[in-house]
Amino acid sequence: MIPSLRREDLRIIGFNLSKILFIVSIVMLIPIIVAVIYGEFEIIPHFLIGSSISVILGSITHHYWETDKEMELKHALCFAALTWIVSMLVTAIPLWTTGSTNSYLDANFDTMSGFTTSGLTLVPDIDHLSYSINFYRHFLQFFGGIGIIVISLTVLSRSELSSVLTFKGEARDIGIKPNIVRTARVILGIAIAFMVIGSVLFTAAGIIEGANLRTAIFDGVNYSMAAYSTGGFAPHSQNMLFYHSTLYEVIALIIFLIGSFNFSFHYSILSGRRREIFKNIEIKTFFTILLLSTLVISGLLLFSGVYSTPDVLFRKAFFQAASAQTTTGFGTLYPVQISTIWPSTVVFMMAMLMMIGASANSTAGGIKAIRIGVMVKSFVREIKKALSPRSATVETTYHHVEDTPLTETVAKGAMLIAFSYVLLFIVGTTITMLHGYGMSDSMFETASAVGNTGLSSGITSPAMPDTLKVTYIFLMWAGRLEIMAVLVLIGFTILGIRRGFRK
Amino acid sequence: MGLRKFSLRAFLKKNLDFIAGVSSEIGLCIGIIIIALAISFFLVFIKSLA
Repeated sequence: MIPSLRREDLRIIGFNLSKILFIVSIVMLIPIIVAVIYGEFEIIPHFLIGSSISVILGSITHHYWETDKEMELKHALCFAALTWIVSMLVTAIPLWTTGSTNSYLDANFDTMSGFTTSGLTLVPDIDHLSYSINFYRHFLQFFGGIGIIVISLTVLSRSELSSVLTFKGEARDIGIKPNIVRTARVILGIAIAFMVIGSVLFTAAGIIEGANLRTAIFDGVNYSMAAYSTGGFAPHSQNMLFYHSTLYEVIALIIFLIGSFNFSFHYSILSGRRREIFKNIEIKTFFTILLLSTLVISGLLLFSGVYSTPDVLFRKAFFQAASAQTTTGFGTLYPVQISTIWPSTVVFMMAMLMMIGASANSTAGGIKAIRIGVMVKSFVREIKKALSPRSATVETTYHHVEDTPLTETVAKGAMLIAFSYVLLFIVGTTITMLHGYGMSDSMFETASAVGNTGLSSGITSPAMPDTLKVTYIFLMWAGRLEIMAVLVLIGFTILGIRRGFRK
Repeated sequence: MGLRKFSLRAFLKKNLDFIAGVSSEIGLCIGIIIIALAISFFLVFIKSLA
């Protein structure tokens, strides 16, 4: 019989969620520094209210569900899924109370988009947001990006289906909680290092392009956080178009490409194993797909007469393809241009890139390049098997930090997760089309939500139906957690309710 | 006091792997960007021949 959630399980999950509420309460206090710097004292109470509510809820759950029992995998998966929901609900408070969004639902949409590093937004007037609220949105993406790497390395990787996520640098036999703390420290160090490098480069580029120092620094920090977390939020409604600068776009490309690398890959490279660049299956798969797509997309846009010069092709076709596959969502053209100027074949290819995504154990979303690489290797192995004599054994390995045998479990896990993403994509596209949108736009927008990308064909706006907003919140959430954790939570909850959460 | 004791050589030596690693990753990205730019030039060249 499938085990359901018992009261003791709820207590363990709830107790650990209380700690998330405490962390989130601190996250909501950090933008107060920005509010003080820019003299936005009227905004400070909104962050204090949000933070206080988070502390109160955290204290209540901490007090009533206190337990010293360790989390098991089933608790950890439910905890991971609920972390994003709880964080979304409380961090939406300052966005809502300051009137930055039209409703509490819209605020939830934006915070889920932030925490999942998606980048779709329902903020109606980004250009007139206060500095502190604008910083807050980007900080949520940075925080959410680090959060998903930690959860991916310490929780999701423990499941058989996600065995390709395993981080070889950490011991898997230690408890989940100490592993989370230890891994988070290392990830935070690396993320801050790249974020600082990005901020300096963006600030310098801003000054070169004529921005004043104050704007250049503010934009530099925010673009850097959004780029490293492959988030795609921007402090201006025109997104990357605001600066109209090739230099700014190249810096963005470098930072979000680095942000989309697997943490295990970062760890290997930064600890001296630089040959990994040429051997890693995920890096090879990711860049092969990206460059082949760039060739095809650029060719289609060039020969259909949309663009005619190499620099524009590079800045529109390659930038958008890289932004889509790394699931960043920075845009060098307006959403409406995607659906009106670009051929539908290119729009479809961009949707596929968003679904494929970049690396596992990174801030990027989608199916992940390592799974695509594993599936291709597995496919080739099956062909080899069919061509070989019956007595022959065909063994295949793949290199990801170390040479690993390609087992049936790994191949099956990759295929099941990929299948789940495709299923989610079909369901999301169908629901969007039922709201009256065209097929091409619906596919693009759904792929953007499921793959946590943030590029838009124009569907996502404050005026979109509430049911579609809820649908996209669910798609971003499920996509971020590779669907499995969400399915485990839903399954356990249904079984728990049916069995009355027995003791 | 702290700055007076700071030695750039010692810092670089201690963090050599990290600095080389960061440079390698940035170099990898620049390499891919150059290939993408070359693809754009190549396609425009092909079109000009047609």
